[in-house]
Amino acid sequence: MTRGAILFAFNSPKYNYYKMAEYTAKRINHFLNLPVTLITDKDSLPTDSNYKFDNVVLVEPDKNNIRDWGIWINKGRYQAYELSPYDETLLLDTDYMVNSDKLLKTFDVSVDFCCHDTTTFLMHPNAPQEVLSAYSYKTLWATVVAFKKTKRTKQIFECLEMVQKNYDHYANIHSFIAGVYRNDYALTLALRIANGHTVLPGDIIPWNLLHVGKNTSVYKNSDDEFNTEYTVMFDNWQKGKIRKEYVTIKDMDFHVMNKDNFMELIA
Amino acid sequence: MDTKTLIAEAKARFNHNSAKDYLKEKYETKLIIADQGGLWKADPKTISFLNSMTDNFIVVVDTFNNPVQVNRDKLLDVLRETYNKVMLEWYKEWTELEGKR
Repeated sequence: MTRGAILFAFNSPKYNYYKMAEYTAKRINHFLNLPVTLITDKDSLPTDSNYKFDNVVLVEPDKNNIRDWGIWINKGRYQAYELSPYDETLLLDTDYMVNSDKLLKTFDVSVDFCCHDTTTFLMHPNAPQEVLSAYSYKTLWATVVAFKKTKRTKQIFECLEMVQKNYDHYANIHSFIAGVYRNDYALTLALRIANGHTVLPGDIIPWNLLHVGKNTSVYKNSDDEFNTEYTVMFDNWQKGKIRKEYVTIKDMDFHVMNKDNFMELIA
Repeated sequence: MDTKTLIAEAKARFNHNSAKDYLKEKYETKLIIADQGGLWKADPKTISFLNSMTDNFIVVVDTFNNPVQVNRDKLLDVLRETYNKVMLEWYKEWTELEGKR
């Protein structure tokens, strides 16, 4: 039984996703002791990298997704099932900061597939959970997905492909904006379809996905390669004034939503 | 700039409530363990229940709401050990953070 992680990384004009993936892969190797396969395109491959991924799979990316800051090449995540060389796979976003071995538990908690359905924002404990729209489902998160190669997970990824290819249609039904493709929304719909329009408790990772939101900044407490201590700073608006607040965290994984902040952390 | 200077220059205050929430999040995850085909949380409720039963093999509903037949003594040992280890770590880190300003 082989076990490993896969990352998708396609450079955009603004962000070097390959560099993010390399950084995250080193941390996966260190904290989880798992090999990492990278799914990328030939334009993202650097000429001067010292790090060696377990496998590098080159694909032709779909560049048809535009965000406020530019092209966001995030489509094609459904290929994870076919492209993963492992029996048990951990699929992570490249901007997920691994600081512990916690994710190894995902292989124990699920039968064959699991992802997050609940998030916590550092410094925003009462932030509401995201929903597709006011009358639709609570969002599932594609940031961390663990899966085994089974007939059912194949169906889930096939559904993901189907939703991606018919995204406008599903956006229309569920009243969300179709302009920007979101893997989280596609996964929310795909998993429900594959499960007979429900979510099975066993498909949910039994802890919250920790986000560092866009108005929160994270700083490393040391320059050690595998530093696990951070200071998280937040501007708290009270009575028209900003009050700077902070917490220190250690040995805790988190997802950095602000890509500029993530690039600063890995610099 | 190191983080201590950054905090001093920004006159930032340590947010104890957020720290408390973060620790809860961190350590509650560590209380979750898979054993004997079920997923369990090493919390006082589950430990007390296992402790109150007398039969060696019992059926317990796990965190996924699945009934699982378990060896009570073995599960109790695992949950007790996990609980003690995690709570001591939690307490230690909380004590360190409590002194921050």
